[in-house]
Amino acid sequence: MHQVILDRLEEYLSGSPSSREFTTHLESCEECRAEVQEMKELSGALSALRAPEEITPSLGFYAQVARRVEAQRPRSPWSWVWLEPAFGKRVAFASLMSLVVLGSYLITRETEYSAGPPRPEAIMAQQAPADNPDMILATLASYEP
Amino acid sequence: MGTLTGTLPLPAFGSRVAVKTRVDYQNSQEGALVRRAQSGDEAAFREIVEHYQSKVFSIIHGIVRQRNDVEDIAQQVFAKVYFSIRNFDFRSSLITWIYKITVNECFDYLRKKKVRKLVYESDLSEDEVRRVENTEPSVDRQAPADETLARRDYVLKLLSRVSEEERTLLLLKEVEGRSVEELAQMTGMNENTIKVKLFRARQKLVKAAQRLDRAPGLVAG
Repeated sequence: MHQVILDRLEEYLSGSPSSREFTTHLESCEECRAEVQEMKELSGALSALRAPEEITPSLGFYAQVARRVEAQRPRSPWSWVWLEPAFGKRVAFASLMSLVVLGSYLITRETEYSAGPPRPEAIMAQQAPADNPDMILATLASYEP
Repeated sequence: MGTLTGTLPLPAFGSRVAVKTRVDYQNSQEGALVRRAQSGDEAAFREIVEHYQSKVFSIIHGIVRQRNDVEDIAQQVFAKVYFSIRNFDFRSSLITWIYKITVNECFDYLRKKKVRKLVYESDLSEDEVRRVENTEPSVDRQAPADETLARRDYVLKLLSRVSEEERTLLLLKEVEGRSVEELAQMTGMNENTIKVKLFRARQKLVKAAQRLDRAPGLVAG
């Protein structure tokens, strides 16, 4: 397409009066004439996308938008615990039960230790056979209460 | 044909000296409203929705024509506006930005609808597909009875072959009736740039139309 057509194409397609230079060139240049004709047809076809009638948004439209925004708002991984009360209660109960079990276990362990260290005789009985007197002496020598 | 299209000079478009018409959107009343919305002011966002909702409805209705879906698409458009308003950089007017989001959302909707239809039809026998096509609204058919709807489907196919920016410019020019000068103001671009972009977009449409007319099955969609 030639420059003279390029310059005035949008005006021509908008229906504004064409310049003499534009029309003269269009009459003489078959190449430009064909291309402009195709563009004009498509320009007309685009008008099919104009809304046929006005649609009035419903009165609660903003509220619907706000709801959609809330639904699509990115959330932290923990937010569902607070947003789902039933699930949150279950999580709280499970945490409490875990604490109770862990606490009971620790208390039991504490009771075992509170009996004090084992007596030397018990250690000797575990670590050395009774028929080895040297081992018994070595164990007794290294024993520290 | 198209001897000069490859070497089209960008700034010096022809003999006329185009006036660069840049509008300072940041310091306008609209700019103040946008800045409030960007800082999380819900009232400002509400004002934006209420100011532009009719326009958005009209754009969607023109492209999609499914009255029942217009409101749903419009909600999604404004949800996108809400989440991306912080990225709005005032280079264009707010309506140009919202217009682009709306058009993209409409094309997304049409694409998803087409995919859904294809998936659904792949599960049906040929007879069932034929029966379903005969009961669907004419807007979804391959050959709509109504000529206006057929023309609209054809134009939508062509528009899906150009870039988002070209599509928005073409629609603002041809559907909204904006002049090149107005488009320059709305987009913050030079008038010559607008002319070049529109020209290239029109050329792409012509080529797409030629391909579509030659082999409808290859280009459709």
